[in-house]
Amino acid sequence: MFIKFWRTLGLLAWLAGVGACQPKAPSSRDYLVISTEPATAWIRNFNPFTASTGGGRWSTIAAMFEPLMIYNRMQGKFVPWLATEQRWEDAEHRRLIFSLRPSVRWSDGQALKAEDVVFTFQLLKKFPALDTNGVWSFLEGVELAAPTEVRFRFQKPFAPGLVYIAQQFIVPQHKWQDVQDPVSYANEQPVATGPYTELNLFENQVYELGRNPYYWQKDKAQVKALRFPAFPSNEQVMLNLLKGKIDLAANFIPAVDRVYVAKNPENHHYWFPLVGNMVFLYLNNAQPPFDQEEVRKAVSRGIDRQKIVKVAMFNYTEPAHPSGMTRAFEKWRLPVEQPEGEWVRFQPEKAAADLDRLGFKRGADGMRRLPDGKIWSLDIAVVTGWSDWVRAAQIMSKNLQTLGIDARMRTYDFGAYFSQLQRGEFQAAISWSTDTVEPYEFYRWLMAGTTKQAVGTSSPSNWQRFADPVVDAKLAALASSFDEGEQRKLIADLQILFMQHAPAIPLFPNPAWGTANTEHFVNYPSPAEPYAVLSPNYRPEILQVLTELRPKTQQEKKKL
Amino acid sequence: MIKILQRLVFYVVAIFLALCINFLIPRLMPGDPMNMIFARFQGQMSPEAIAGLRQAMGFTDASMASQFLHYFTSILQGNFGVSTSLFPARVGDVIWQSLGWTVLLAGVSLLVSFSCGTVLGALAAWRRGSWIDRVLTPALIFIGSFPYFWLAMLLVYIFAYLVEWFPIGHAYSDGSKPAWTFAFFVDVMRHLFLPALSIVLATIGGWILSMRNAMVSVLGSEFINLAHCKGLSDRVVLVRYAMRNALLPNITGLGMAVGYVLAGSMLTEIVFSYPGQGYLLVQAVRNQDYPLMQGLFFCITLAVLLANWMVDLAYYWLDPRTRGQNI
Repeated sequence: MFIKFWRTLGLLAWLAGVGACQPKAPSSRDYLVISTEPATAWIRNFNPFTASTGGGRWSTIAAMFEPLMIYNRMQGKFVPWLATEQRWEDAEHRRLIFSLRPSVRWSDGQALKAEDVVFTFQLLKKFPALDTNGVWSFLEGVELAAPTEVRFRFQKPFAPGLVYIAQQFIVPQHKWQDVQDPVSYANEQPVATGPYTELNLFENQVYELGRNPYYWQKDKAQVKALRFPAFPSNEQVMLNLLKGKIDLAANFIPAVDRVYVAKNPENHHYWFPLVGNMVFLYLNNAQPPFDQEEVRKAVSRGIDRQKIVKVAMFNYTEPAHPSGMTRAFEKWRLPVEQPEGEWVRFQPEKAAADLDRLGFKRGADGMRRLPDGKIWSLDIAVVTGWSDWVRAAQIMSKNLQTLGIDARMRTYDFGAYFSQLQRGEFQAAISWSTDTVEPYEFYRWLMAGTTKQAVGTSSPSNWQRFADPVVDAKLAALASSFDEGEQRKLIADLQILFMQHAPAIPLFPNPAWGTANTEHFVNYPSPAEPYAVLSPNYRPEILQVLTELRPKTQQEKKKL
Repeated sequence: MIKILQRLVFYVVAIFLALCINFLIPRLMPGDPMNMIFARFQGQMSPEAIAGLRQAMGFTDASMASQFLHYFTSILQGNFGVSTSLFPARVGDVIWQSLGWTVLLAGVSLLVSFSCGTVLGALAAWRRGSWIDRVLTPALIFIGSFPYFWLAMLLVYIFAYLVEWFPIGHAYSDGSKPAWTFAFFVDVMRHLFLPALSIVLATIGGWILSMRNAMVSVLGSEFINLAHCKGLSDRVVLVRYAMRNALLPNITGLGMAVGYVLAGSMLTEIVFSYPGQGYLLVQAVRNQDYPLMQGLFFCITLAVLLANWMVDLAYYWLDPRTRGQNI
């Protein structure tokens, strides 16, 4: 027993010694390390159709399968990708033609054909579970128009449909036509058109993708391989980021200048442009007193967004634009100073005066009373542990308490929180909004009467249960408008309508988190060269970044 | 023999009850699993796609009774269903893939902690007032009162991040392939050291204390005096007479500790990015992935019951009194 014990100790000491004298990692490497999905062990699933439900790997629609065109949210325009151009065939806008790029090949060497595009869309029709964007809710048919052209026939003119068609990734017919059940197919040996398709390595804690030997952008995608280590926690990602072991990541880092950049100012970079989605305070329109828009506006005037931005969000963001739109909609947004939208500014005196005027008198205890004489209490729902939102909710409840509303933050487990949000069974809740680049989709999601569900019925959008016939008419007009001038006018009208009715209270836009390490690779987008969003959270836009990156040359390394 | 059979019946009933609880608990949680899939889409998914996915993932509006029947029959066939959060991966495959690493981490740390703790506890009682008794035991009990993951984070920060003696995470170096070679074994050990150490540090104090207390009472017994008087060497008295008797409470504890160590190793695994089951369970709970939760809980239950069964067997061997009856 004694001997065994000392032997164990000796072994431990020896192991510690082995640990101490391991060589340091080589200072140069030819693979780019990306960290995006939290996981402890990778599951070999390269089915692009399941990539957004968490089944398929992130890389399937970021580096493997490519769409016809990519909407670039930094430039606010489409970048031709597998298709070179798109045009409407008729004046009514019911027939849309996409011309395919010649000489694109699949990673098994076969040529990309227009039949592959038709096949992909037919697959979506046959298996509605794959059609996550619902393209078949507005499409009537997809067919070959010419050997390299595909025609999309619409049920009715629907301008916002373009982005969903353009950004649909394309799968090879010769590989997928024999798949019995594409919904649960794991696609372990992917064949795709993208820059990185070859599985060099697949272990449960790391996998590596090599370059597609037939990639159509011959001089692009010069990085030899992409490597994806599995990290389950933010702490692990942070430690590896600080050690320079991750090149590209999408993590929230508190005090990023001090924590990350200062560690290695030459190579550690970050860029958090405000093109994520808008975070709102949703007040349940189906419940008094928030059925009155004046009450919603008064509550909004009582919220100190500047403080939320500073304390809850480390100054990474800015107070919301009165239209609720983020900078992803820069080209459509009205100037920030709008008389109808003054309620997004912090005006506590005006808020108090409004509430007095609306009949919510303060009692002897300083708390306001509802018309039925009860104290006005308000629960603000947030998710347990989502620390930025929790801090924001704390600031707001303090703000509202000084207004005389008995506001309290309530934290819930995500499941419980999200279920009450969708069912409309909440008083107030902080939450995101839809992450889209289409103004139509943004406002339809936020305030279309057509998306309003009864309280108690689960709804994917319009959680606050707002409806207004004028808004619906404008949305319908926008859906069938193809003239940019007219679209601009309608989107401006919708912004004003949003400001007039205040269906939800915009707080701040979410930054698109992105960090880059330039020790081994360069050409990342940056504020100086904003050719695309740096954050790997935005697919398929990240394809543009992955194709532009290249290894650092010897001279560039020496300069440092 | 009859006794062993009786115990077997007990284990079968326990497994059945565990299966029932496994089925019920996730369904009593608020929220709807399909909503979680919605949530990942941030509301962009079309209703047709939701209906299609619902069908593919096997969500039904069937009554609880028929759901239970279906669940029970598939488990008997060894089919745990399809994970909804990792769709379309099968729960069995997902668990199997990471089970080995969890067993390695939990097994090694439990064995080291138990054997070192027992020996140290015995020594502390044997030489009362020595440095093991006065310094080491209280110090390890003090360290043991910290939560597992806190110790784990501290160890990562100091030994992996600041001084770089050990890797920050993972079970072996990225890029190397598992193989039965000495180099790979060393690599695995280097990666295992810190996570195992954090569990050992957190649990060893308890073993020392209980072993020490049991030893103290055993050492006061007449038969120990008799053994000394017979002229047996100190070592024989310690190992064959005192420790063997004092071991019984610790062996009982071992059966129960399996559950704690498995739960604790999950947190440790998350801190060290160890490719075991730790994050799987978190992910399953967060996404209300019933099939995955059921599979993981079933594994834990099975491990605890298996450990208890082995404890029963060990008892028969260690304590002849239990053998006397009914065999």
